[in-house]
Amino acid sequence: MLLRSVVLRDPRWLLLAVNALLATAAGLLLPAALAGAVDAALGGRLDPPAVLRLVALAGVELIGDAIGVVLAAAITARGTAWLRHRLTTRLLALGHPGRFEAGDAVSRLTGDSAIAGGFAVLLVNLGISLLTAVGAVTALALLDWRLAAVFLLSVPLALLLVRSHLRLTADDVATYQEVSGELSARLLDAVGGLRTIAAAGRADQEAARVLRPLPRLAAAGVGMWRTQARMIWRAGLLLPAVELAVLTAAGFGVVAGRLSVGDVLAALGYAGLGMAVVGQAQVLTAVQRARAAAARVAEVLDAEPAPAPAPADAPPGVVELRGVCVPGALHDVDLVVPAGACVAVVGRSGSGKSALAAVIGGLTAPASGQVARGGSVGYAFERPALLGGTVADGVGYGVTPDRDRVVAACRAAQVHDVVVRLPDGYDTPMADAPLSGGEAQRLGLARAVVRDPQVLVLDDATASLDTVTESTVEHALASALPGRTRVVVTHRAATARRADLVVWLAGGRVRAVDAHRSLWEDAEYRAVFG
Amino acid sequence: MGPYFRALAGRRRAVLALLGWSVLEGVPALLSGRLVGLAVDRGFAVGDVRTGVAWLVAFAVVAVLGGFGLRQVFTRLGDVVEPLRDALVTTVVRGVLHDGRAHRRRPDASAVARITRHVEVVRDATAGLLVQARALLVTTTAALVGLATTVSSVAWLVVLPVVAALLLFGALLPSLARGQRALVLADEGAAEAAGAVLLGVRDVVACDARDHAAADVRRQVDRQARAAVRVAWASALRGAVIGVGGFLPLALLLVLAPGMVARGALSAGDVLAAVVYLGTSVQPALRRLADTTSTVVLRLAVALRRLAEVAPDVPPAGDLVPDGGGVELRGVTFGWGEHAEPVVRDLDLALPPGTHLAVVGPSGIGKSTLASLVTGLVEPRAGVVLLGGAPVRLVRPAERSRRIALVPQETYLFTGTVRENLALFAPDASDDELLAAVAAVGAADVVDRLGGLAGEVGHAGGGLSAGEAQLLAAARVYACPADVVVLDEATSNLDPAAEAVVERAFAARGGVLVVIAHRLSSALRADRVLVMDGGAPLLGSHDELMAGSAAYAELMAAWQPVSAG
Repeated sequence: MLLRSVVLRDPRWLLLAVNALLATAAGLLLPAALAGAVDAALGGRLDPPAVLRLVALAGVELIGDAIGVVLAAAITARGTAWLRHRLTTRLLALGHPGRFEAGDAVSRLTGDSAIAGGFAVLLVNLGISLLTAVGAVTALALLDWRLAAVFLLSVPLALLLVRSHLRLTADDVATYQEVSGELSARLLDAVGGLRTIAAAGRADQEAARVLRPLPRLAAAGVGMWRTQARMIWRAGLLLPAVELAVLTAAGFGVVAGRLSVGDVLAALGYAGLGMAVVGQAQVLTAVQRARAAAARVAEVLDAEPAPAPAPADAPPGVVELRGVCVPGALHDVDLVVPAGACVAVVGRSGSGKSALAAVIGGLTAPASGQVARGGSVGYAFERPALLGGTVADGVGYGVTPDRDRVVAACRAAQVHDVVVRLPDGYDTPMADAPLSGGEAQRLGLARAVVRDPQVLVLDDATASLDTVTESTVEHALASALPGRTRVVVTHRAATARRADLVVWLAGGRVRAVDAHRSLWEDAEYRAVFG
Repeated sequence: MGPYFRALAGRRRAVLALLGWSVLEGVPALLSGRLVGLAVDRGFAVGDVRTGVAWLVAFAVVAVLGGFGLRQVFTRLGDVVEPLRDALVTTVVRGVLHDGRAHRRRPDASAVARITRHVEVVRDATAGLLVQARALLVTTTAALVGLATTVSSVAWLVVLPVVAALLLFGALLPSLARGQRALVLADEGAAEAAGAVLLGVRDVVACDARDHAAADVRRQVDRQARAAVRVAWASALRGAVIGVGGFLPLALLLVLAPGMVARGALSAGDVLAAVVYLGTSVQPALRRLADTTSTVVLRLAVALRRLAEVAPDVPPAGDLVPDGGGVELRGVTFGWGEHAEPVVRDLDLALPPGTHLAVVGPSGIGKSTLASLVTGLVEPRAGVVLLGGAPVRLVRPAERSRRIALVPQETYLFTGTVRENLALFAPDASDDELLAAVAAVGAADVVDRLGGLAGEVGHAGGGLSAGEAQLLAAARVYACPADVVVLDEATSNLDPAAEAVVERAFAARGGVLVVIAHRLSSALRADRVLVMDGGAPLLGSHDELMAGSAAYAELMAAWQPVSAG
């Protein structure tokens, strides 16, 4: 299983375990050594070997703890990074459309992998705390079997005494989260209208509006603390109760001459060590959590990418689809896109336009049917995800062209004038260049142009541009990439009119392929454009 | 960090009450060693079981008292932490909404989520500090006091190593803080890189850039792993320092005690008490300091610093009250950065009351910047914008927002009634006035559908289309008293006919109207047109420009109504 390989692939867990064993052994010997040294001191004689033993044991424990901290962090970090690398590679290999929703995939990569990556450390910790408890009880028994018996009896009794069915009251927690979410939603509303608010000088009033649910949040918070106070109060009595029992038993031991005064201290120390295991219920929960996290990671790693057969050859710039099906989107589509043509794809929302564009360009492999394509493809989208560190990186993403080609592509996409007005021009970090929808679309276009493709697929890629800019972009594209095949998904009649050919989709099937002028006769066709 | 400490100071009484109860919580630490010592000295060691058990029962009573004190501390935690969180949320929200950089850089949903997370970290960390650091202080002090009264002659050998360890620990803190901050940043970096790539898988595949994307994520993931290990080294070091500081007194005591016991200066019970104080109070407290408390302090510091970055200080405002009307731009130049091409260069523009100006040009060329300049949202790099003869940035803010109204492309609707949304800029407007404004811009159908003025609007205008939201935003400004109105692509989601209704309504309303045009049809309705296309700005009426400017004529020719087949 996955957790197994997380643990076994990095043999340093053995080192961690050995180190922890040494530190634990020292920790277990420490109270006995302390008792010896104290007894000597009470006898009024300095016993150098006893003190030295104590110092040596404390040293081993301290150094072991320090080494353990670093080792644990290194093992967890490496295991987590290993899982994250594999997840990234696999999620990218699964392609588009992915089998995992993006937000979900991100949480598996950032959250679950970190939890699963710490599994080795978790196991070692669990083993060590069990060992400590067993060792502590054994040590008590070695001092005086009655001490161990009292300890073993008193722990369950004390647990029963303080056992708390109190959980954080679900109501307060739910209210807290709900109001917290409400506040975020209100802040998001206000942030969306920041220009309105700034221009109207209403920041204070709008802040007050956002903050209106705050008193409810505070009330829920206070409620949570009160519940926690009741829980803490009971849990806090556990250790003193057990200590009291063991100390009393040890006292009787001293009276009977079975135990020295130093042994009382040792008993107190071992009772404390033995109690450490009581808190380990959390570790068991953590193990469960790690298993759940590992299952979510494994689900991704076990997902097999769909086989994507290489498309058949076609003359340069030609795309041929025969009997293409994409489940839920396209049914039995036959289509020939001639070389150098501008083909518009139109249809109502949900008619399969984007799926057709994805199949034409090879972004999605069809479930059945054949695709033949001549030459490379460049894609531009309605809402492009612009990746890369800077604006120039974003345009040249994946091909790293020189600056001249990036600038030329941006000119062709009519976005050069926008870029040079950004704070650092082409070197403006993408995160600091919040672009309007239209500006982002044109950068996405430039990204397609810079690859100099044989076939250009524009999936509603100019929808946010005003009509003037859109037609300018079209002309510039035609002159920057002369003679290339263009497939344009559009909602606009004007765009369809300028195309050589229109593919009209309805319900995932090709309804007609013809010139816009001929199709316009059909009232149903006109209805597509609203 | 200022608001944090101010808020904390504001809760002085609650903090004091909490500290008062923690005195009770410190009682076990103060007495436990002494009581165990007495139980042995007076009881078990001399064969008097009853006395021994009696002292141990006292030990138990003291423990219960301490537990009760802790309970009270927790109960009062809410009185300190929740108001503190309130104050912090208030500061951050106000900071975000006041942000002077807002016109260009907007926090998005993930940024808002991050802000929420930082605030929660501050809340939890403050609570953690009040519980742990305070308990630590109380316990250590109580134990040291107890120790000093029991074995006063050797108190120095306990205090010195502990103080030395604490000082050394303090010296290590700055580098720890740097490491912790680097780790937080690396965490965010890894999450951002993964988020960008996974949200953009389609684009990565389309760009045939899987390897490139994977390498980007990998780099951030590895950076995060290295930062985590670096922080662990620092924690290990501080753990060692504290461990030595806690253990050294015990060792010293055991070396010195034999001589003192032999001389009769210490009893068996005294030694026992000292060891109990050191072993069960001081040492665990110091370890907790190393393990958790310092991490909490560092997380708190990092979160507070990140929050301070979100909420920058608000710039001072001017105090002029212009008496005239109209807007004038003189030699105005503006650019987004020093190296950036100016968006507006040396622009002169006089807009007396009654002017209806349309601004046309390709999107992204800086038309919105002009709107920000006129409304005083941004400061020109050179030149000045005048409102009624006074520099608009120096006009008293309340006056400025009363005189000028902006309707941006992105509408601001909030959860509340239709009336609240419409009366945002005119709180005293009557229902009739509001309904008149609604009718004027053609929003009557929308308002009726929502159930009239008493109807409800959801988050982000939920249930409304983008066009309907824009109609409400237009009606809101129509109803307000401003005499300078800027429509910045405010009708982009309306159809041309509805857009014409809105623009004509504002033109008939009087004052100065500036329309940043989404469609060229806006230019036909204006009496003056400003063409911005990256070159020198052109100004004139539509007819003048058609006759005098080849560029403008070309722009008009390229524009054709979409409806024709």
